Amino acid sequence: MSFKSTSIIIIFLLACLIGLPSLVLAHGVDDSTKQFLLDNQGVSIIPFLYIGAKHMVTGYDHLLFLIGVIFFLYRTKDVLVYVTLFTIGHSLTLMSGVLNNIAVNPYLIDAIIGFSVVYKGFDNLGGFQRLFRYQPNTKLAVLIFGLFHGFGLATKLQEFQIPNEGLLENLIAFNVGVEFGQFFALTVVLIVISFWRRHRSFLQFSTVANSLLMSGGMMLVAYQLTGYFWHTIG
Amino acid sequence: MNELEHTGKAQHELEHTVQSKKTLLKATAFAAVLALLIFFVAILPAEFGVDPTGFGKVMKLTQLAGQTSSAQAATTQADTTKQTLPAQEDSVDISIPAGKGLEYKFYLVGGDAMRYGWSTKGGELLYFDFHGEPQGDTTGYFESYTISTANNVRGSFTASFEGSHGWYWKNKGQTDIVVTLQTEGSYKIIGLK
Repeated sequence: MSFKSTSIIIIFLLACLIGLPSLVLAHGVDDSTKQFLLDNQGVSIIPFLYIGAKHMVTGYDHLLFLIGVIFFLYRTKDVLVYVTLFTIGHSLTLMSGVLNNIAVNPYLIDAIIGFSVVYKGFDNLGGFQRLFRYQPNTKLAVLIFGLFHGFGLATKLQEFQIPNEGLLENLIAFNVGVEFGQFFALTVVLIVISFWRRHRSFLQFSTVANSLLMSGGMMLVAYQLTGYFWHTIG
Repeated sequence: MNELEHTGKAQHELEHTVQSKKTLLKATAFAAVLALLIFFVAILPAEFGVDPTGFGKVMKLTQLAGQTSSAQAATTQADTTKQTLPAQEDSVDISIPAGKGLEYKFYLVGGDAMRYGWSTKGGELLYFDFHGEPQGDTTGYFESYTISTANNVRGSFTASFEGSHGWYWKNKGQTDIVVTLQTEGSYKIIGLK
């Protein structure tokens, strides 16, 4: 292994480590945020914007999925198309989920989100083409999984009985915040990936990277399903 | 960059290589083994306090779980037999500013009961959420016992878990409202939050 590719891997691992502190935080909403949501009344655009952005930046499940989605997207236009589809998907279910009070079990929905990461990693390895000689529509998949990610976001917000007063405005602010956070996180990820792509190690290690992605997704599924049985049945 | 050129046929679509069956199998097996390993060695001990390998205890990961609600739920039963707080009686006036909401909480051990009654001084209607949060919970979980709007409520309540239990009142009016809260039972006052 050349010195260059070694240093790239070290940079990549460092980037992952920087993301680690967010793993230590519970993926729900932290105490002070919770207190704010409980006490809040009426329209508060900026705080909800901030909570939305923070949720996305520290939401490793959403980030892992997005890394998988843009992993092999080389053109800015494609990145925009796929990210827009994801945004449409999660915004639809986030808004309608909260407004219509559609309650989904948070553990099950987070398990599905974990599964979306496994799916994307497998897809990136060409798994569907190889095993089934068929490539499921990648754009449709991003849209559909976007719907599930949105339900996840909606479920997190619904755990707090947000007053009806100013709900729509706050919800839109939260949603816009999610997009800001997504944009910020994606920019960082894109910079790291496009830097890595210029090196031979990218293709050499893309298999390893996508296997790791699958593995991370599997951990999320196992974690959330255990949580489901632990809290719901046990 | 030769490999890039080979796989870059369809410029508008995903430009990935389709791996061989052998590579796919290896990658999936690797992913599954790694996921299971970390799940049993780290996630189960740290998140649920379950330590099948013993590694979690050695690495002090199980201590993390000691603070979560999940582990708390498992030890609640032991706690109830272990300790009960002495009975006491209290009365307090709480002023809720116009347009604001606030919380007044009590610490109760699972299985302990309290009787309570509260009313607003001027008989104003007040939105409230009577709820409890497990001790040490960091997930933001809470359980609501009663959510309503009233000016006078009496009742009794037995805590099903150790933690802080109490009321959140929200004053939607233009003037401050004073609530008189009387309690009796085995608890510790946490007070305003």
